[in-house]
Amino acid sequence: MTSKPIPVPARGTPLPWHLDPPYNARHLLALILAVLLLLFTGHRTEMDRMVVMSTQAVGNLLGVVDDSQVVRGLSRVAQSMWPPVIAETEEVGRLPDLNRDRLPLLAYIETQERVEQKMNLQTLQLEVTREQVEVLVQPLGYVWTVFIKMIQTLEIALWGTILSVLLSIPLAYFAARNYSPHRFTYTTARGLISLLRSAPELIVALFLVLAYGFGPIAGVLALGLHAAGFLGKFYAEDIENADTKPQEALEAIGAGKLKTLWYGVMPQVLPQYIAYTAYILDRNLRMATVIGLVGAGGIGQELKGRFDLFQYGHVMTILIAIFLFVFLLDQLSARLRAKLI
Amino acid sequence: MIRFESITKTWPDGTKALSDVTLDIPRGQFCVILGPSGAGKSTLLRAANGLMKPSTGGVVIDGTPLTAASEKQLRQRVAMIHQHFNLTTRMSVAGNVLSGLLPVVSTARALSGWFKPEQRHKACALLDRVGLSPAHLKRRAGDLSGGQQQRVGIARAFMLDPEVVLADEPVASLDPKISRDILTLIRDAARERNTTVLCSLHQVDLAREFGDRIVGMRNGRIVFDGTPAEFTDERVQGLYHGAHWEDTHETTSGEDESPRLALAA
Repeated sequence: MTSKPIPVPARGTPLPWHLDPPYNARHLLALILAVLLLLFTGHRTEMDRMVVMSTQAVGNLLGVVDDSQVVRGLSRVAQSMWPPVIAETEEVGRLPDLNRDRLPLLAYIETQERVEQKMNLQTLQLEVTREQVEVLVQPLGYVWTVFIKMIQTLEIALWGTILSVLLSIPLAYFAARNYSPHRFTYTTARGLISLLRSAPELIVALFLVLAYGFGPIAGVLALGLHAAGFLGKFYAEDIENADTKPQEALEAIGAGKLKTLWYGVMPQVLPQYIAYTAYILDRNLRMATVIGLVGAGGIGQELKGRFDLFQYGHVMTILIAIFLFVFLLDQLSARLRAKLI
Repeated sequence: MIRFESITKTWPDGTKALSDVTLDIPRGQFCVILGPSGAGKSTLLRAANGLMKPSTGGVVIDGTPLTAASEKQLRQRVAMIHQHFNLTTRMSVAGNVLSGLLPVVSTARALSGWFKPEQRHKACALLDRVGLSPAHLKRRAGDLSGGQQQRVGIARAFMLDPEVVLADEPVASLDPKISRDILTLIRDAARERNTTVLCSLHQVDLAREFGDRIVGMRNGRIVFDGTPAEFTDERVQGLYHGAHWEDTHETTSGEDESPRLALAA
């Protein structure tokens, strides 16, 4: 038996139903405008030149194109940065406290010949002098220095995160529409959150270095303040969107706002909070490597110093260290998150 | 014990949820409120502890009028059991029951969760009374079955030895067997303590079985008030499909000129 089709009125019969096609002239116009905007801004940001240069570079690597500015630049950088510096040497003469019988681990003293050109003040001529100097060589010395700096960077990130959590909890309370005691406190807290979020860490750190001097204080504060804006916003929105049923139950028996928040909201939103905080920690770890560039402590400060002294071998060691750390931390935080949520 | 004095509630959109409801419930009575959906049962219950502020009229509990000033004090004497249990699902059963004490414990104690030994003992005793086992104590409330969750809700409600228990369709989402168990539990626990119960239901048989008194509501008015024996089948018909049937149901038989797709073959 074949099933009968549902009867449909003939085409052209006026119906109260009406279904338009999904696109019309307005959509087309918007599309054209978007393309024009992309072309305009693309030219201003030299995206056209970028494509040409990148193509040249690929062609050069494949042996089709003779010369490529990009490849030349990169190879020059690579040459000056290779090999990465691992050891640290220091003249024994500059180490008055050195105990020759108890050298640091793996370290040894070596005699090196130093060639120096000096002007003889009598003859007014340049003379080459050869000097035998004793130097203390620590084969893994620089790696160790970078490692210590990296640990300091982690500490900055950790404390930045702790600070942001501490700051964002009261912020979130006042920025949650349903808990803020007054419209004024709500607006103030929201305004503060926007302000904190809108100021990039690097710029905040720049000013904090002026206030607190070089070192980790500025870094911790910069990371903490910025992330407090983020966490405050996320926490507040979670409080606002939390299931109202347990809150109503506690409100019905006359528990105060704070207790209701603690018993009716916090347990429900805690996994989210942990996820946000883990993300902020992850982000702070990456940012902490950068903010040292403006003198706010950590590995970035070391990087900037070596870069300014044209010691590109050292820079390479630092870059490798940063890459390794961020990679390891990514793995670790991914695992942690999978466990917690 | 609890008296509603000509309460009227008009929502901002103009619908009248309650119109001139007056009801006096003596101490220790198990009063069931019956009626179709939208009759105003929940609204009436929520007026009793100030979750809903009536447009006109007022509530008097044990001689004290419910006002903004007396609300916090009175709420501690009026517990509530909810249709959806309203537990903090990610918190432990113990935490949920102890949260019933929140209005009387200090903020420091509440935030630290460090309740007094006698308070913890009471929570255990109540959980035992509602038929849960020690194994449930540390489980998350959300992991329990619906019936068990409502038992936790009841334990929480009785933590402060309330004088009035408001039960807002406490068994609406439970099966008939468990519904009977839960209502038995509420009734017996209330009787032991001479607690007044105001319970909204939508199962007529349960109302007749458990209520000392049945109040029938329709369109925000009380249309029946009497004992279960007086609540005859005709009255049930009147309550659910009575004279006001047209008020709540749109007429569908009107003439419709617009052509429709004929789905009948």
